[in-house]
Amino acid sequence: MKLFSIVLLSLALVLESSVTTIPLVFLSLVSLMVIKKENWIFLYGFLFGALLDLFSFRTLGISSAFFVTFLFLILLYQRKFEIATNYFVLGACFIGSFSFLLLLGFNNLIIVESLVSALIGLLLFIMFKRFVELDLVSSKNL
Amino acid sequence: MPKRSSITYFFVILILASLILFILSKTGILNPITSPLRALFSPIESIVHGGMLQITGWDESSKIKLLKQENQSLVGRLIDQQKIVADNKALSDQFQAQNSRSSSLIPANIIGSPGFLPGISVPEVLTLDKGNKDGIKEGDAVVYKNNLIGKISNVSDFSSSVVLITNSSSLFTVKTLNTQGLGVIKGQGGGEMILDNVLLSDILEKGDFVLTKGDINASGQGFLPNLVVGEITSVSKNPSDLFQKAAIQSLVDFTKLDKVFVIGN
Repeated sequence: MKLFSIVLLSLALVLESSVTTIPLVFLSLVSLMVIKKENWIFLYGFLFGALLDLFSFRTLGISSAFFVTFLFLILLYQRKFEIATNYFVLGACFIGSFSFLLLLGFNNLIIVESLVSALIGLLLFIMFKRFVELDLVSSKNL
Repeated sequence: MPKRSSITYFFVILILASLILFILSKTGILNPITSPLRALFSPIESIVHGGMLQITGWDESSKIKLLKQENQSLVGRLIDQQKIVADNKALSDQFQAQNSRSSSLIPANIIGSPGFLPGISVPEVLTLDKGNKDGIKEGDAVVYKNNLIGKISNVSDFSSSVVLITNSSSLFTVKTLNTQGLGVIKGQGGGEMILDNVLLSDILEKGDFVLTKGDINASGQGFLPNLVVGEITSVSKNPSDLFQKAAIQSLVDFTKLDKVFVIGN
């Protein structure tokens, strides 16, 4: 799972720094955190945030701080509510993408972009969920 | 599921690390490390960007591309001719002077142009494969043929980023070609610009071209005069307002660009 996450995050990093402003790295991190709920995702958030800033010519640390804070908030929220649901992922991705784009100074079509981001986040979440289920089944069979 | 204390511990450590990274990055201490890393990543970025240009440009035949290029070149010639007709020999000399600077043009490939929908949405910034080592400095103007593209905003040793003229942070003085109206271009994001702060007494005409007025500073950075910014597509004039406005459309399709030129000092 960790290897798969690194490959996916690297792909998102390359796409986000060269062809799109959709926060793909952030969406991948949220989906991962909602499913796995583990500490190593914080570390990925920090590292990939720093790399994203580096390749996008931004001041280092901005994306890292945002990713780590948002992932922390997700874990706090899950103490009281179920977070591994489509509605939660859709909402979290929308609010997170909107805040992230606002933080980076985008102001054109930001709501539309956040909506598209939320849908992409949901697709990633469904894909991860299926991947984890398949992983569990194959490990049981072994 | 990790314990709450361990989550908080992780969070605090990483937030502090981000803060340290931010401070080090702001002070420029990390530049010797970040520049080679960006240089390492450039080829990957270039391949992805090139691939995306091919995917999004598959429906545009080479004949249409050629016609577009020819059209741009004809518009450039038309502007030059109109200038020559309208002005006297002094302006012609100025034009010659501008050409003499073309020797300091630095060609650069675009290796990144992130936009909302790749190849469709107009990007806000571009990443170039040339940097400090090639003579590019912050504030240098970026052009394509006679058209103004943007300004260098960040430079590392082997790459740089350009803020497009349509970016919402873009602001510079311009004049219209036929009527010599003066105003300020304000980027609106998403490929849109408005010409603002034009006096009501000035005349703005739909179809007139907008050129840079020239704002080179003492260190030689900024925009040269008479670079093409775009064409007026609509005029908004209200007698009760202090100024009139106009919508401007650039002659360049920013989504299809793969090479630009930086005017070095």
